[in-house]
Amino acid sequence: MREKMSHIHITLSNVTFGYEKNQKILKDITLSFGENERVGIIGANGAGKSTLLKLLVGLYTDFEGSIRVEEIPVEKKMLSRIREKIGYVFQDSDSQLFMSTVYDDVAFAPRNYGFSEEEVERRVNEALEAVHISYLRDRHTYKLSGGEKKLASIATILSMTPDIILMDEPSVALDPKNRRNLIQILNGFGHLKIIASHDLDFIMDTCSRVILINHGRVIKDGPAGEILTDKELLESNGLELPLRFTGRESLFSS
Amino acid sequence: MNKLENAVYEMNLLEEQAGGCGRLNSLPALFKVIITVWYILLTVSFHKYDIFGLLGMGIYPLVLFLIYEIPFRQCIKRIKIILPFLLLAGIANPLLDKNILGSLGNRQVSGGVVSMATLMLKGLFTVLAGYLLIVSTSIEKICGALRKFHMPSILVTMILLIYRYISLLLKETNRVMQAYALRAPGQKGVGFKAWGSLAGLLLLRSMDRAENVYESMCLRGFDGSRGNSFQYTAEQKAKPADYIWLLLWGTGLFSLRIVPLLTIVGSLLVKG
Amino acid sequence: MHMADALVAPAVAGTMYLCSGAAAGYSIKKVRLENDAKKIPVMGVMGAFVFAAQMINFTIPGTGSSGHLCGGMMLSALLGPYAGFLTMIGVLLIQCLLFADGGILALGCNVWNMAFYGCFLGAMLIWKNMMKGGTSKARITAVSVLGCVVTLQLGAFSVVLETLASGITELPFVTFVSFMQPIHLAIGLVEGLITAAVLCFVYEARPELLWGISGTEKKEGRFSLRATVVILAAVTVLVGGGLSLAASSFPDGLEWSIEKVTGEPELEAGEGAYDAAAAVQEKTALLPDYAFQNSDSAAGTSFSGIAGALAVAAVCVGCCYLFKFFRKRNL
Repeated sequence: MREKMSHIHITLSNVTFGYEKNQKILKDITLSFGENERVGIIGANGAGKSTLLKLLVGLYTDFEGSIRVEEIPVEKKMLSRIREKIGYVFQDSDSQLFMSTVYDDVAFAPRNYGFSEEEVERRVNEALEAVHISYLRDRHTYKLSGGEKKLASIATILSMTPDIILMDEPSVALDPKNRRNLIQILNGFGHLKIIASHDLDFIMDTCSRVILINHGRVIKDGPAGEILTDKELLESNGLELPLRFTGRESLFSS
Repeated sequence: MNKLENAVYEMNLLEEQAGGCGRLNSLPALFKVIITVWYILLTVSFHKYDIFGLLGMGIYPLVLFLIYEIPFRQCIKRIKIILPFLLLAGIANPLLDKNILGSLGNRQVSGGVVSMATLMLKGLFTVLAGYLLIVSTSIEKICGALRKFHMPSILVTMILLIYRYISLLLKETNRVMQAYALRAPGQKGVGFKAWGSLAGLLLLRSMDRAENVYESMCLRGFDGSRGNSFQYTAEQKAKPADYIWLLLWGTGLFSLRIVPLLTIVGSLLVKG
Repeated sequence: MHMADALVAPAVAGTMYLCSGAAAGYSIKKVRLENDAKKIPVMGVMGAFVFAAQMINFTIPGTGSSGHLCGGMMLSALLGPYAGFLTMIGVLLIQCLLFADGGILALGCNVWNMAFYGCFLGAMLIWKNMMKGGTSKARITAVSVLGCVVTLQLGAFSVVLETLASGITELPFVTFVSFMQPIHLAIGLVEGLITAAVLCFVYEARPELLWGISGTEKKEGRFSLRATVVILAAVTVLVGGGLSLAASSFPDGLEWSIEKVTGEPELEAGEGAYDAAAAVQEKTALLPDYAFQNSDSAAGTSFSGIAGALAVAAVCVGCCYLFKFFRKRNL
């Protein structure tokens, strides 16, 4: 680890946000994330996980409180600098892949940031290599399988060499094999990763720290092994133990 | 296969062929677009009685189909689509135009019959020409060619996006229709009560999708102000042989338009 | 209503390309002025939506036949006239290239007939003015029906004019018009009602999505006199159109007309015949032999033309096979 270890970090202080005035999705959130952390954000449907991620990349800027990404405040003027540092992987890969070929899609961001075509090509190749899909380079995006689409959408953000990766429900619509492949690839990355999901087994495999959110508030923040095995805590917040901790008999007895 | 599935199937088929590596595929899209439009323009410009001149234009599709070994079967469907419309427009000609133009054997041929026939031939030839273009050229490449004709980038970008999401929405619509049909046996289409909600929900979902697409673009540096945000697949460089192809067909088609080749050849044969 | 290339003369096609091009240029300028980066993805996805939604068959109560959504009116109610018009161009271009629905040369005509009236007249004059005095479901329905009927009438009339100007048909103007207009009146009514149903649904669920309705004042507009008059007019048209509608169960206007004329729906010759036609094309057996029987009679130009066609075709085919033969040997 080098000296500048601490420059990759995100801090949220007293963040409150709602799409409509009287309906707050997130209430008074204070959190910080540091370099190399692998954070899982868990919570039932509608708990505010995706909204939290979207705030970090400035898709909504009219929140109360403050969010700083690598000491840059999240505000309108700073968005393009922030988005160079954070990559956001959407839940629905089809929204993320809007160009016709994988190459053009992965090249979209570097081209927008004005890199030369040679540099763009180098970045695209590296990004595809990082998720082991170089062979998909010239394929059409809408002809990919679900697993391939997910990897391609990860490649689209890697081409900007971000410090931080945010993922919204990455394991949805993946078959077991693709899911295992994704876990392996993610665990090979050294980035600060924040993964929002209600697939607790997936979180267990990819994250070391877990933040439990319910009704817009942080309920618990701690090591994955601790929170994900706490049956009472999970159930009182609309979640269930990861399958691996349930054991077969409990599936039948309950 | 229903209409929606069929559309998806056709699109996939065309795309596979256009993405292939046949000789016609490797020609620059720009040249193919130019020749196709040129051909259609010349073909429809024939006078309604000039059936033999028009027949000469058949050389272009005939030669292309044969040389590049393009399957003919698929475009029968396309011909089927336009024939009814042409028949409608031309059906009155034989009844109303009874000028005798000539004779075939011992039958007299009226102007109406000839003009009806030229109409059908024009329809056939133009559809074939369009088919030859799309079967050998992907939409992205055609859009690249359109950019070279200075079609504004906003329009080209939008066309590419429409194309990108068509197959997705066709499939989604098909799923909705199947779900509807499974619970409404015996109905052919969507019943009156579900008119608004069925298509409306689809519309709202599409809007949400558009929102996501927009967010995903923004996160990757798109702000709409940069005109060149959308770059299109690099156009292949034209080889000297491609220029020759363009020149030959360009002049060849024009000569076919002004020289009644078939009549000349025929008169030589008949006299000899 | 998609016109094929064969129906237009180059001059007509060129003129219509110019007209549509001018409208497109103006729209692009307007959309750029709006400077809304979001417009592009929304236009793209909504274009794809209209493309797919137009394939849904909506059953018309009591007839057993089906109608479709009106794309132009729909898009301009959501995106406004300019973005709606551009999106329709995209939809029509893709329809023409991928599905041969409308010709490449006739695209200018088709854009004019189907997109221009729907988006500019439909949205600018009818929708915008009607929505000024407040919005309600009744108003949306009235506007949609009126808009679709008017734009389809104008579109059909333009098809007639363009075809006649191209010198394609011998049909007298009056016959042609009296044939096209009533059919499209019925289609317009049905399309209008379907479009209205969808727009009403959107209005209830997410009113902010509709164009020209300010988000703040969404209160139910009271029935003004003008709206009532319009609705009455629409109802009158409905009854009138209902007659022609009830008389038939047609899948689509033009096709129905053909059915009437030829006595055959869609000219179904059966797969066998098409296969045979394909086989014929492949073997290029060009003409039945009776053309040769009277070869020494006064055949004149017609015979030499046919002979020429045969000879040239034979030469072409021969050359192609030779060309391919040598190419394969070279490889």
